[in-house]
Amino acid sequence: MNTGQYISGIAHFGLIGWALIGGVFQPAPEPFDVTEVSVISNAEFEAMMVPTTGPSLETDLAALTPPEPDAVEPAAPQAESPDPAPVSAEPEQTAPPPEPETAPDVAALLPPDPPTEIEDVAPVLLPPTDAPVSAAPDTSPAPKPRPVPRVAPEPVAAPDPEDRTDDIAQDQAVDDSTADTQQDQQDRTVEEEAATEIVTEAEQGASHAPSSSARPRARPVQRVAQPEAESTTGTQDAVRGALAEAMAAGEAESPKPATPSGPPLTSGEKDALRVAVQKCWNTGALSTDALKTVVIVSVKMKPDGSPETETIRMVSASGGTSGSANQAFQAVRRAIIRCGANGFELPSEKYDQWREIEMTFNPEKMRIK
Amino acid sequence: MMKQFLTLLLAVVALSVPITAQAAPLRIEITEGVIEPLPFAAPDFVPENSAARQLAQDLAQVVADDLAGTGLFRQIPDSAFISQISSFSSPVQFADWKAINAQALITGAVNLESNGRLVVKFRLYDVFAGQELGGGLQFAGTQDGWRRMAHKVADAVYSRITGEGGYFDSRVVYVNETGPKNDRKKRLAIMDYDGANVQYLTDSRSIVLAPRFSPTGDRILYTSYETGFPRIYLLDVASVRRRVLEDQTGTMSFAPRFGPDGQTVVYSVTQGGNTDIYRMDVSTGSAQRLTSAASIETAPSFSPDGSQIVFESDRSGTPQMYIMSATGGEPRRISFGQGRYGTPVWSPRGDLIAFTKQSKGRFHIGVMRTDGSEERLLTASFLDEGPTWSPNGRVIMFTRETQGAGGQASLYSVDISGRNLKRVKTLGGASDPAWSPLQN
Repeated sequence: MNTGQYISGIAHFGLIGWALIGGVFQPAPEPFDVTEVSVISNAEFEAMMVPTTGPSLETDLAALTPPEPDAVEPAAPQAESPDPAPVSAEPEQTAPPPEPETAPDVAALLPPDPPTEIEDVAPVLLPPTDAPVSAAPDTSPAPKPRPVPRVAPEPVAAPDPEDRTDDIAQDQAVDDSTADTQQDQQDRTVEEEAATEIVTEAEQGASHAPSSSARPRARPVQRVAQPEAESTTGTQDAVRGALAEAMAAGEAESPKPATPSGPPLTSGEKDALRVAVQKCWNTGALSTDALKTVVIVSVKMKPDGSPETETIRMVSASGGTSGSANQAFQAVRRAIIRCGANGFELPSEKYDQWREIEMTFNPEKMRIK
Repeated sequence: MMKQFLTLLLAVVALSVPITAQAAPLRIEITEGVIEPLPFAAPDFVPENSAARQLAQDLAQVVADDLAGTGLFRQIPDSAFISQISSFSSPVQFADWKAINAQALITGAVNLESNGRLVVKFRLYDVFAGQELGGGLQFAGTQDGWRRMAHKVADAVYSRITGEGGYFDSRVVYVNETGPKNDRKKRLAIMDYDGANVQYLTDSRSIVLAPRFSPTGDRILYTSYETGFPRIYLLDVASVRRRVLEDQTGTMSFAPRFGPDGQTVVYSVTQGGNTDIYRMDVSTGSAQRLTSAASIETAPSFSPDGSQIVFESDRSGTPQMYIMSATGGEPRRISFGQGRYGTPVWSPRGDLIAFTKQSKGRFHIGVMRTDGSEERLLTASFLDEGPTWSPNGRVIMFTRETQGAGGQASLYSVDISGRNLKRVKTLGGASDPAWSPLQN
């Protein structure tokens, strides 16, 4: 028994001693930071304590110009000071706003509404006080032209890269010995790409989607025919008619300038001439003053439809200064000469009608498109 | 008897009219045309001696770059030329230039004299009219000023064709930026309008902002944080000497701008949490307070005649633009669109005001008439701000900053029609441009 107690006592003491000495109850050593230090001299410490002085107010250009843009400045980095101006135009914060918390669904916990009585009389739909305005467009908007370097009355699609651009579009013509009529060989030319208006960067991303939903339309109101008010205009119409007749008679009697002989140009022929000239009327390089100037020019035409360039003269100008009128006239003259070089398509049998042409160039629509 | 005589007289007059009347011309009205760059040819200038050979090419190229850079002109490449200009005084073969659709032709000659004097002469031709457009002109100067002479030639060509003054012989002062966004170094720099001949006017030890030229271009106002607080400085461009313009203890002064007389300066002062606009006589230093509202008034800009000031104020709740008399008084609001308006600048022509607009998360540079009508937004990006006008009021330069931590500020220019948006070449980042007047 004593032997067993001795063995047990020794074993317990050994276990307790191992636990105490062996580090079972000691915490694990924590990691520690190591900081490198450097020893500085008294002189260096004194130098650090001296306050830095600001730059001299009077500087010399020669001392400032040498630094290259990428050169590293020797000065200590400075924290960027805030802009003192009350900033009205700051970039928006890129961090998204916090999502609103969703309210818990408590429908199942709330008591049901008490039953209410239903009226026998059907409700009457009252028409809205204001006429509903539909935010959605009735028709799809016209496609917005893309920004291109050329603005023309008619949009022109981007030409094929292999085609040559020219003021006048023409098909390719090749030698064909079998053809009845021989035509000079010519390359295919197309007009340069054009839009109908200037598209600025700010307008490129414009959306046509409505910003709000529309109220439903009201039912049409039954209209009751109103009894016509007693007409009191009968006598007035009679007076107007008599006056118009009298004035027409007066005009017929007044002398008119002589008109050239032969049939006049049709409106289609006039339009063709107008389109042919306006294709070359380039207002892109004109000043804003010149774009306010309406110029009337006169030109005598050759029977082949080309202008006699030396006869192009400014009849009158209005809306701008004399200087701007001159710039506007130069642009007009270039247009007539350029597009008329090969002759305008005018009916030769009506030469007397277009022997002399007076053109009014009004750039009002060309100011900002 | 009398009645019979009158009847006879009327009959004679009536019979004589058809005989004396001229044949009426065909009349048409044209209201639509095209807007496209005008094609021009600028062959190398003719060197009048061997020393001027390289300059002759360089000058012609700068002239062509100036014109083509406006977006109003298009240069026809030399490879398309049918005939060459070998002599400045030889007659021009207009048919050859018509054939390649050159509507304007610029010829020039360069002579570098032995004493270093450079002489440049040029002529401009309207090819389709077959005649010279204006007379020939000659410029002379030192060789190192050859780019300025090229700009002057381009200004003359631009003016003769468009009818308005040019802007090529001008400079731009701006804030040069280097380093990352959280440690950005800023210093004042000045360059030609096209980015050439950069010079630095300050070092980058302190932050500088918003430089503005005087009407003669010889002085610059700017704001510096040299003392830790914003102060307005006046810098002489030639000597780079400077002095503090406004130094009132306990205040912050900023956003200066010269008046058209070159002696008056308007600026903002923040004192006690309130910001108002002041004007000062530069020579005497006497200041006058122009606004006294409890709101923030800043970014003042004179009208070209000096009679009015446009500025930015949040007195209505959001920043908007107002115009008041140059001596103060009740302002009238001119901006009413959605968004926030700021940094208004009056056009040198006096007809438009350029501004920065923030709307729907995007920034715009826009213009409107001085009564607030005809607002047009010309640009749209993450951050566009700080417009400045070219001397002729045709082009606007501004700062565009890209998004993100690596975003950098750059200078851009745009025609007032909204066309020809392009980046201005600068060394490194650039912001806060201010365009000088045309140089003498």
